[in-house]
Amino acid sequence: MTPEQVDATFAALAHPVRRRVLDLLSGRPGMIVGAVASHFDISRIAVMKHLATLEDAELVLSEKVGRERRLYMNPMPIQQIYDRWTNQLSGFWASRMADIKESVERRSEEKKHA
Amino acid sequence: MPEPTAAVSADAEPSGAATEGDATAKFRVHIAGPIEAVWAEITRTDAPILAFFNSRMHANRLAPGARLAMRTANGRYTGVVGEIVEFEPPRRFAHTFRFTAYDDPECTVVYDLEEQAGGTLFTLTIRDLPAGTKTAKQMVQGGKMITSTLKSVIETGRAPFGIRLLYLFFDLMAPATPKRSRSEHWPID
Repeated sequence: MTPEQVDATFAALAHPVRRRVLDLLSGRPGMIVGAVASHFDISRIAVMKHLATLEDAELVLSEKVGRERRLYMNPMPIQQIYDRWTNQLSGFWASRMADIKESVERRSEEKKHA
Repeated sequence: MPEPTAAVSADAEPSGAATEGDATAKFRVHIAGPIEAVWAEITRTDAPILAFFNSRMHANRLAPGARLAMRTANGRYTGVVGEIVEFEPPRRFAHTFRFTAYDDPECTVVYDLEEQAGGTLFTLTIRDLPAGTKTAKQMVQGGKMITSTLKSVIETGRAPFGIRLLYLFFDLMAPATPKRSRSEHWPID
């Protein structure tokens, strides 16, 4: 990854709308632009600008299917950043730690709502 | 990491097939190597392919309609079987894909290569992922690994250290492979 690609990845991730777009696309790959835009209280043009930033950083890939443009999250820029600072051992334990954190927090949320 | 979603109306769930998305996963990287080298690596049949979990591709011919099998280096076990759908050197290789260990429906993998200044744009697309199956889960994990290992193999000549360790572990665990994956059950003729 070139320094420019790293910069583009971090810049693209540095906005809540763009992070939410990635949430949507990782859950439902292949959504069209209109469907993504319908999840936001901002104009479609603004959403398209965010999508352009994500596509420039290659975090989002698009594919034309008939008259539709389908959108997919590309995990590889994040994977490459992860690989840069994480080895197999630290990755394994970091993943276990994250699982524990998530599990404890979920249980405490469930207790709160019980 | 929870975060506020003030600008987001996540509750609205419009209807329609395009809204639901499709059963496709995509992975893309730039590889600093010639397109011919990337193509040769993903279509080689003379040695195990490091990017494909160190398995060796067996096919009677490399052309649409030919059956293929991904077998362990010693040929004893077959992890994946499929049929070549597209073979257009050096730009596109596509085949159907089914894990022999599961009864899941098959999906299709497509490798697209595009020549660029300084290297190759490599895109792996996995279509028709059967929802909620072990196949879908493993393909999404495997897609990242295939793509990053291929990049490493072309750029450095070897798989990353962690992947090499993983392959050693696979070799050690080979005797625990399900009997249904023994190659005699998966001929390609």
